[in-house]
Amino acid sequence: MDMSARSSIEPVKGAGDAADHEPVDRPLLRPLPWVTILLSITLLLAIVVSLLTGPMSFSTGEIITSAKLLFSGAETAGTADWVIRELRLPRVVLACVVGAGLAVAGCVTQGVFRNPLADPGLIGVSSGAAFAAVAVIVLSGSLLQGWSGLTGPYALPLAAFVGGLAVTMVIYRLGTRNGETQVALLLLAGIAINVLAGAATGILTYVADDQQLRDLTFWSMGSLANGGWREISACAVFVLAPLAYCLSRFRILNALLLGEQVAGHLGFPVQREKRALLAAAALMVGAGVAVAGMIGFIGLVVPHLLRLIVGPDHRWLIGLSALSGALLLLIADTLARTVIAPADLPVGLLMAIIGGPVFLFLLVQQSRRWV
Amino acid sequence: MTLRVRSVSLNLHNRRLLENVSFDLHAGDRVAVLGANGAGKSTLLKCLTGEYTAVSGAITLDGRRLGDLPAAERALKMAVMPQGMTLAFPLRVCDVVALGRSRHMDERRSRHWQKAAMEMMDVWHLRSREYPTLSGGEQQRTQMARVLVQIWDCHQHSGDGYFLLLDECFSAADPAHQHSMMEKVGSFADRGVGVLAVMHDMSLAAAWADRVLLLKQGKVTASGPVELLTLPHILQEVYDLPKSLADDYARNNRHWLERNAGQSTFIEQSRSLRQI
Repeated sequence: MDMSARSSIEPVKGAGDAADHEPVDRPLLRPLPWVTILLSITLLLAIVVSLLTGPMSFSTGEIITSAKLLFSGAETAGTADWVIRELRLPRVVLACVVGAGLAVAGCVTQGVFRNPLADPGLIGVSSGAAFAAVAVIVLSGSLLQGWSGLTGPYALPLAAFVGGLAVTMVIYRLGTRNGETQVALLLLAGIAINVLAGAATGILTYVADDQQLRDLTFWSMGSLANGGWREISACAVFVLAPLAYCLSRFRILNALLLGEQVAGHLGFPVQREKRALLAAAALMVGAGVAVAGMIGFIGLVVPHLLRLIVGPDHRWLIGLSALSGALLLLIADTLARTVIAPADLPVGLLMAIIGGPVFLFLLVQQSRRWV
Repeated sequence: MTLRVRSVSLNLHNRRLLENVSFDLHAGDRVAVLGANGAGKSTLLKCLTGEYTAVSGAITLDGRRLGDLPAAERALKMAVMPQGMTLAFPLRVCDVVALGRSRHMDERRSRHWQKAAMEMMDVWHLRSREYPTLSGGEQQRTQMARVLVQIWDCHQHSGDGYFLLLDECFSAADPAHQHSMMEKVGSFADRGVGVLAVMHDMSLAAAWADRVLLLKQGKVTASGPVELLTLPHILQEVYDLPKSLADDYARNNRHWLERNAGQSTFIEQSRSLRQI
């Protein structure tokens, strides 16, 4: 574009000529490779900064030593190495996995429901997942005794998945008429489900004993402080597998941008694909909720901002959502554990402070579109 | 290859939407489906695209039931343009057109086809505009480019076996575009593609179609050559028109038909001239 403007005598005509030779799919004003590279570099930097941040200070050299030890599979050597590898790294990895999962889940539900407000948190998927996970924690000694024995370390993520999936299906039935999703209905149903799940979670909290209460506290606010490697590996399986699936489904998500009818004409088995995508989203949300509790707004904020930058093409949007979600939650968590150090601010609260205004802004934008 | 519709009926919500509809769509056909509002034109189209499944009767493609054909396979042969379309998120014109190739998974390799389709539908200059900012007619032309590029493969060999199903595709376009665009769609029929177009504008149908299918209250009132549109009593029957109006429309349609016939001989002449 620059070149042609400089070389041509008549800028208007010259610009038009240059545009004529432009390949159809070259993104205009949408520098995708740069966004990808920039995001990756920033994420790497954020990981290093997050590892360096905390009550104990390390040098970058110690981080590199730890990284070398980690990749060679050696045992932890010394306090510094132990703090980095057993305290900070799990938290960093968890933030990345959960953030990526939540952002992609948001991206997918918005794509399937064809609305930027259809965030898993807002439509009740997260609270459904949280309710199921709390039920497992509180009732694992009594009603749900068999469940934990059956599924071992996956008991919590699986239960959260089932809860999230159940809510997704209910919401889907309630909010969709003739293949078109009514946003208002969807969000109102979300409110109702949030209230119901909240009440049920409250009842469970009420009957919980002291130890269970301690386990439950972080659910209400969302925190990454409770993840060990065991939880992380379980979480990663349930996030990365559906994430890969969603990445491969960019074509149906793009076709859905044109509506379900047209997606059908384009040759996609729409109902089957939609169900699979929503299940994948519920799986990612469930996994995130099971380990980190309720962390809202990532699925709302990240895809929205990315659409402004790179457009709505899911070929890019899903992968970039994963990167940005990881980045956002990592930064938020690093902030959360430093602003009021040594206390640990639940990152869910911080995300709500960031996400609330964005949600309001989106509402204003939508209302303009409705008028 | 023929798309065969045999005594198709459809009941929905205790209402009879289609009753005993039969017709054939052959290779190279230009069929216009006409009728009053609520006559079942769009419903018929949706039966052909498999959107209604509780259809009695038989719709077969080359002897195979259309319902047995996987959606993906059908999309390679049959492109559909529905009446209205709203976008969930603002895509650019070129992105919308590229989606026409998503089932073929060659969005990048088929770029020259996408360009050709956009040029054919006169939207190439709009390619980097966002779809929702376009006017109604421009949106329809963009959609048509997407629909055409889906079966652009028919340019590589015969168009036989490909089908275009269009639902009032240029209703919002200006008259100049309506006629020139329909003629370009008609060029697909010349390649052997079977084209079925639901239309509202009788004169456009008279100018464009070879055959017409006239529906009234879900039933076929008449079907046959496009000359049916020049018969006042048929129009009176199909549209419930008063006689004087029906006469006017019939006269008008004859004019369009003759004009079209003159044009095609002209085109044939110029073709033969070029060959010399």
